[in-house]
Amino acid sequence: MSVRLSGTDPAKRRSGRRQPSLFARLLVVIATVFGVGAGILGGAAWIYARVAADEAYDRLLVGAAFQIVDSISVPEGRRAAIDIPVAAFETLSLAPQDRVFYRVIGPSGATLTGDDDLRVPSKATPERLASGPLVLDDRYKQTPVRVVAVGRYLSDADVPGWAITLVAQSREARSALARDLTGKALILLLGMSALGILSVAVAIRLALAPLSRIEAALLKRDPHDLQALDVETPREVEALITSINGFMERLAGRIRVMHRFIADATHQIRTPLTALASQVDLLRDEPHEERRARQIERLQERTSELGRLTNQVLSHAMVIHRSEAVMFERVDLVAVARRALAEGVPLSLERSLHVDFNAPAEPVWILGDPVSLREAITNLVNNAVQHGAPTRLVVTVEGDETRRWVEVADDGPGIPPSDWLTVRKPFERLKQSSKTIGSGLGLAIVDDVAKAHDGAVSFRQGETDAAGSTGLFTVTLSFPASAQPTSVANAGVVTAMSSQP
Amino acid sequence: MIVRHLKSCVVQLAASLLALVVVPAAGESREEVRFAAPTPGGNVVLAIHAATDIDALEPLIRDFQAASAPDVTVTYTEYQTNDLFAVARDDCLHRSNTGRSSAQIDVIISSSVDQLVKLVNDGCATPHRSRETAAVPDWAKWRDEVFGFTFEPALIVYNRDLVPSHQVPRTRVELVELLRSRPELYAGKVVTYDVTQSGIGYLFAFYDAYSGATTYGRLIEALGRARAVVRPTSADMVADIAGGRLLIGYNVLGSYAYRALRDGAPIGIVVPREYALVLSRGVMIPVGAKQPELAGRLLDYLLSSRGQQKASAGAFPFGFDAPLPPDIDGPVMLARSSLFRPISISVELLAVQDRAKRERFLTEWGRSLAPVASALDLNTP
Repeated sequence: MSVRLSGTDPAKRRSGRRQPSLFARLLVVIATVFGVGAGILGGAAWIYARVAADEAYDRLLVGAAFQIVDSISVPEGRRAAIDIPVAAFETLSLAPQDRVFYRVIGPSGATLTGDDDLRVPSKATPERLASGPLVLDDRYKQTPVRVVAVGRYLSDADVPGWAITLVAQSREARSALARDLTGKALILLLGMSALGILSVAVAIRLALAPLSRIEAALLKRDPHDLQALDVETPREVEALITSINGFMERLAGRIRVMHRFIADATHQIRTPLTALASQVDLLRDEPHEERRARQIERLQERTSELGRLTNQVLSHAMVIHRSEAVMFERVDLVAVARRALAEGVPLSLERSLHVDFNAPAEPVWILGDPVSLREAITNLVNNAVQHGAPTRLVVTVEGDETRRWVEVADDGPGIPPSDWLTVRKPFERLKQSSKTIGSGLGLAIVDDVAKAHDGAVSFRQGETDAAGSTGLFTVTLSFPASAQPTSVANAGVVTAMSSQP
Repeated sequence: MIVRHLKSCVVQLAASLLALVVVPAAGESREEVRFAAPTPGGNVVLAIHAATDIDALEPLIRDFQAASAPDVTVTYTEYQTNDLFAVARDDCLHRSNTGRSSAQIDVIISSSVDQLVKLVNDGCATPHRSRETAAVPDWAKWRDEVFGFTFEPALIVYNRDLVPSHQVPRTRVELVELLRSRPELYAGKVVTYDVTQSGIGYLFAFYDAYSGATTYGRLIEALGRARAVVRPTSADMVADIAGGRLLIGYNVLGSYAYRALRDGAPIGIVVPREYALVLSRGVMIPVGAKQPELAGRLLDYLLSSRGQQKASAGAFPFGFDAPLPPDIDGPVMLARSSLFRPISISVELLAVQDRAKRERFLTEWGRSLAPVASALDLNTP
């Protein structure tokens, strides 16, 4: 048993095919999610930082442009003049490293001062400038610059019209600010990602720890120890522990049954063998011809009983094995019962036995193992023929919506109700029938087959009627209805069949 | 000493006359001075183009060769500030149009830092970063492309023998009061920069107008009424004051004044107490420099403690972090006092460079002082 339990060597299995670690896989997935997320957020931070830097420095630029445009004056109806305010440049020098270009254009279109080749943006129309300053990106002297255009209407100039001030600033402070903001955002992002991955790693380790504890507990365990596992586990793993414990309990039960069965079977077979041996001794020393013949007869009886016992032990073992190993199929109870009846009632019966077989014309389907079922019904018929049934044996197959059953009834003494429980156990001899080597296994086999099919075995002792004839003793083997229920309308149609001695 | 100053004065005058007569355009026929490599053999040439007296820079150039470039020949071409600006700007333009420089200009040195700032703003400079440039105070550098390497306050200078000590003005207001109350003594005897000719003079006057607008108005008016004399250079002013022809100079470059004082001229020097403008002479490497690495080495030398010490021993006696010389009337640590008003090398100087502003400023200045200036022109030989 313990050999089967340990199975293949785990070390061998592990080296055979390399399984990726759950921990590594989870970590890779989480790291990928964090990495992609950090990338997207980093890009967003860069865009946002650029916008924020532009907004911040645009205010300076616009402020300086207004300071300049406000310093345009028109002395007494003459040409517009400009007195560039130093304060405008002080404002701009808040971006201390940036180059500054400017151009002031009077209402007549003449450049009053500044860089003559600084381009007036095409969008800087008087209509547009009337609604406020225009800020845009441009290039000047091979440098990317931010340009602001502001306008002021000079109504008292010699040529009334719009004076335009352009102020351009290189982008160094903006880029530096955007880089700085992005860098800080990235540091935060990376920090958060590292923290996230770290905590995920810890969380995975924690989550997998109960499994390692279970593994350790199982490895540490003696192979014969099938006690329930006692490992402290979180709720999520409890189901696993319950399944393992349930499995081990079933296994332990099975092994207990096996052990008892083997012990009983050994005992059962050894006793008649000893008796046989002593009878053979007696036979050798028996001079009397007549007694010798009787002893040979008894010896034959014993041998055939021993053979039957051995058969039953083997068929019990087979039933137990099949109940675990064989896939169920659709089985017609009527056909199975008919064959069992044919096998179970020997043609050479000493007494006259009236056999009735009641079954519907249609098959009565259940899901089951035909071999085990035949064995069970055969056993019931055998029991009835050998231990009861002086004159009558009735086998009935029936079914309704929920159940299908086979009844085997005889007019024999039956089994007293006090033994109804114990006869289902292997090797429980009936006290009454102890004169023969009782199989003791027949009903145990039936019970096992019933259990394997989710069915049940029940006994019923018929009432003694007024005429004085004893009621029939009935054993019922019932099963749940299969997935495809048979028509039960014709249940009760009786087909009689007689087995004549 | 006076003789030497006079001599240099005459030389300069002659030079400018020559330039005026022979080459009206910015200067092809400019004289180039060569400082041959101390270790012969190398044929590497570093070309300095500067608007600064060669006398002032010669010791620094020779020490630079000794210290870190023994195999380098240095050529030195001297300009007026405006000429230098024009040459540098043309070269920069030419280069951005054709991709090649028209002349070898490796280092530009000028006291008109507003012009240098304009060049940097137009993308005509190469950045240079080193341990030495990092140590330069923020006000004296911009974009790591132009650096101030001298510390030159604008001061009041007077003739010690002819101005009674109780009359020595320590503030601009006192100067205005003095000119108003003692016209008989000081009319025609006060001197300041000719801002039309001198870039430094324009810078100082501009910042006077900007730093103390009311004081400036009263000052310019008082100077006009006192028929103040104007001179194109500090050397001229110091020479006239030391010679007794003039009594008080306003906005005289401290470096020239102190050199004269150190050489024994009978002058006194006062730091004006409202505020003291400080100019830092600028140096930059143009984009077209043929020897940018060598030029960087020269910058590092000028900014290094060795270069600074050499400079303060010679033409530039004031240092960024050095106390004022004891014989100057003023706070010991000018750079840390509340008077300190550096002419910050930054984008603000673009306003100084603005042509409309310059025109307007000069018109206003001329309205107060021009009659005197033209009168002076008649006096000059």
